[in-house]
Amino acid sequence: MSAGTQVHANLTEEQVREISGDLDEPEWLLETRLEALAALEELDMPDVIRTPGRDWTNLHDLDFESLVDPLNAAENKDQVGPEEAEVLSWSDAVQEHEDLLKEHFGSIVDPQENYLTALSTALFSTGTVVYVPEGVDAEDVAIRTEQNSRSLFNYTLVVTEESSSVTILERQSTGAEQDEQYYSGVVEVAAGENSYVQYGSLQNLSEEAYNFTVKRGVADTYATIDWIEGNLGTQLTKTEVSTTLSGDSSETQIVGAFYGHNDQHFDLDAKVWHRAEHTTADLVTRGVTDDVARSVYEGVQDVGADAWDTSSYQRENTLMLSDESEADASPKLIINNHDTEASHSATVGQIDAEDLFYMTSRGVDPRSARNMLVEGFFVPVLEEIDVDELRDDLEGLIGARLRQRD
Amino acid sequence: MSSDQDHLKETDTEARFEFKKEENAAVRSGKGLTEEVIRMISDDKDEPDWMLERRLRALEQYHNMPMPSDWPGMPDLSELDVEEIIPYIRPDVDKREGVDDWTELPDEIKDTFDKLGIPEAEKNALSGVGAQYESEVVYQNMQEQWEEKGVIFCNMDEAVREHPELVKEHFMTTCVPPSDNKFAALHGAVWSGGSFVYVPEDVTVEMPVQAYFRMNSEGMGQFEHTLIIAEEGSEVHYIEGCSAPKYGTHNLHSGGVEVFVGEDAHVQYSTVQNWSKNTFNLNTKRAICEENGTMEWVSGSMGSKVTMLYPCTILKGRGSTDTHITIALAGEGQDIDTGAKVYHNAPETSSTIESKSISKDGGRTNYRGLVHIADGAENSSTAVECDALMFDNESTSDTMPYMEIEESKVDVAHEATVGKIGDEDIFYLQSRGLDDDDAKKMIVAGFIEPITEELPIEYAVELNRLIELEMEGSLG
Repeated sequence: MSAGTQVHANLTEEQVREISGDLDEPEWLLETRLEALAALEELDMPDVIRTPGRDWTNLHDLDFESLVDPLNAAENKDQVGPEEAEVLSWSDAVQEHEDLLKEHFGSIVDPQENYLTALSTALFSTGTVVYVPEGVDAEDVAIRTEQNSRSLFNYTLVVTEESSSVTILERQSTGAEQDEQYYSGVVEVAAGENSYVQYGSLQNLSEEAYNFTVKRGVADTYATIDWIEGNLGTQLTKTEVSTTLSGDSSETQIVGAFYGHNDQHFDLDAKVWHRAEHTTADLVTRGVTDDVARSVYEGVQDVGADAWDTSSYQRENTLMLSDESEADASPKLIINNHDTEASHSATVGQIDAEDLFYMTSRGVDPRSARNMLVEGFFVPVLEEIDVDELRDDLEGLIGARLRQRD
Repeated sequence: MSSDQDHLKETDTEARFEFKKEENAAVRSGKGLTEEVIRMISDDKDEPDWMLERRLRALEQYHNMPMPSDWPGMPDLSELDVEEIIPYIRPDVDKREGVDDWTELPDEIKDTFDKLGIPEAEKNALSGVGAQYESEVVYQNMQEQWEEKGVIFCNMDEAVREHPELVKEHFMTTCVPPSDNKFAALHGAVWSGGSFVYVPEDVTVEMPVQAYFRMNSEGMGQFEHTLIIAEEGSEVHYIEGCSAPKYGTHNLHSGGVEVFVGEDAHVQYSTVQNWSKNTFNLNTKRAICEENGTMEWVSGSMGSKVTMLYPCTILKGRGSTDTHITIALAGEGQDIDTGAKVYHNAPETSSTIESKSISKDGGRTNYRGLVHIADGAENSSTAVECDALMFDNESTSDTMPYMEIEESKVDVAHEATVGKIGDEDIFYLQSRGLDDDDAKKMIVAGFIEPITEELPIEYAVELNRLIELEMEGSLG
């Protein structure tokens, strides 16, 4: 089923022209937007896990008619970085780095991959471009987006040249509360030869919000892309974090943490595509579901026929704090080269009764004991986060949510 | 162990699996799926009206259901044309319900099963054997001592006539209804032959009961139905083997297996499947387990062009248990898409799935599994372990488990590993004087040992021998 018609009715070419014109965009970019708008009618929603008789995440019920308000985007945005790197707002990037945009925009995430990417491409009004020249080590790039409108479409491009490195911390939150909001984010990372990108993200939008995010990177020879993906907010999140290891000896790590409570629904994908020799991937995600929250995790490790000498590991662990919550996991291995060491594992369980007993027998009250055990559960993931600020924030938010319980 | 191996050494295993017989049919249906064909099958079997009605209802459901199309990475079924498959062939046997004594069989059929080593296996295991040739069961034997205890082991057609109440209640009603999937519906319409096993309360059948299915004709479909009812406190081990020689056009095997495991009962279902490499093997196998019942699936899949088979257990009663042990081997041109499904629908249920696969010469194996733990299935646990071994770079090995967990008081674990055959292991064995081929064979034998040790010895030997043949590339 194509969902195209449901939103198309209140979207017009004029709106897209206006967004593009306000940003003073070149003609080719406007064309890309208009083509994406026109494609909406034929495009379907992003893939979700399906087993016979069941879709694990229902995106078709989203009421775009009322959620998407293209000309009323408003946000508070910080885009800061060190002097060595260029951290530009979208309108500045359009003026100063058109060639860079022409080369990379839409090259990693196809604007017409699905209905939601096309919608994002047609309507995005805010964005950040991070450009790190050859040999430059740039730390502490911070992108903070506070959504103050019904819908917000955000685009981020990171380009690192040979032997450079960058650490980026992105946060999404909600400012003035609305009843329901829609946040859409597309992130493209092009990691040049021997460069290093760490991209940390902390999504803490309002629990009335809907969120669709794609973060995708391509790693050249000897390049490394590390992702940290923290999800706490929204009532419905559909997110994909993925890396294509296209250069020999490239590496990626995807670290995920989520905490769902109330009636939150998280659909989280972590994917790696091994497309060159001697590539390494490590995927590790831990999360909690409480109340009637639900998590759907899909992990894909795809080893192509030319990906000789691949190492690929994946772990996913879910802790269920309530009887009504639900956790689904599907870690997939797709192996086309036999010179591969690959493994995945997934577990779902509750707090270990013996651990709890041990702690209470040592005088810790049951509530604190439970909170300590949940915090301890996240430690293996937190340990993988190099950026102190992100780790502290994530830890703080998890702790706050835990103490909010009971 | 030596005597069991000896008799298999004496038979030419390759010849056993590859020879063809002149087709000699008494009744042969037309191609394709029409009401006329269904009526002809039912009429030829002298079936009661209720069975004909069920067949026609299933046929209607079949026509109304789409082919599966949106499974990620599903095998290619485009070459399968059900309308070109001959659904029913009755071999020329005097007594339609089968004969009781091996010697009464027509020479040609006897010869076929002789070559497959069936009578030897029977003699060795001193157990009952049912053998199906094309669409009909031609030979059935059951030891007297079990018969005296009320155990029934007969072919399905006979069961429809002799035990209508049991069949009416259990046949494709609650376990595998035709509406389950397109090929279950197809099966419901054209099913023929198969085994019926009934074990009364508290009876333990100590010897495995065995059935052997063989497809001999070109372009035919085989649709045997197996119905096993194990009453409270009973115990039985059922073994089936399947094979077909290779032909140019495509065969279809779409069997149906339904197992009812009563309270405290224990059923083991073991199968070694070695269909010819033009066969589409699309089965539905399912068990329902009552309180404290135990279901064990042991399966080896090595033949066929395409296999899509996910034996399923529904853990319906408190404290029931499921074990799946599967091994798949895919060689050139083969796509073995197999796995396990378990529904934990009651508290304190447990399941263990152990899956091993080997892919070589461009073959593809896939573990596709679903573990569902329903809300309220407290203190349930499941452990899934998949290991894949790849021999070369033309081959593919995928793992696609799905876990749906609706209950918090559970213990769920899934693990999978993929790797190539260890260079160091081979080097070690070579340094002890084995050549490369023998070293690989030995590593594979070790890799699949968890499966073979679950099987009675003659099947384990056959499985090992089949795998050796596959490894040598001398089969199919």
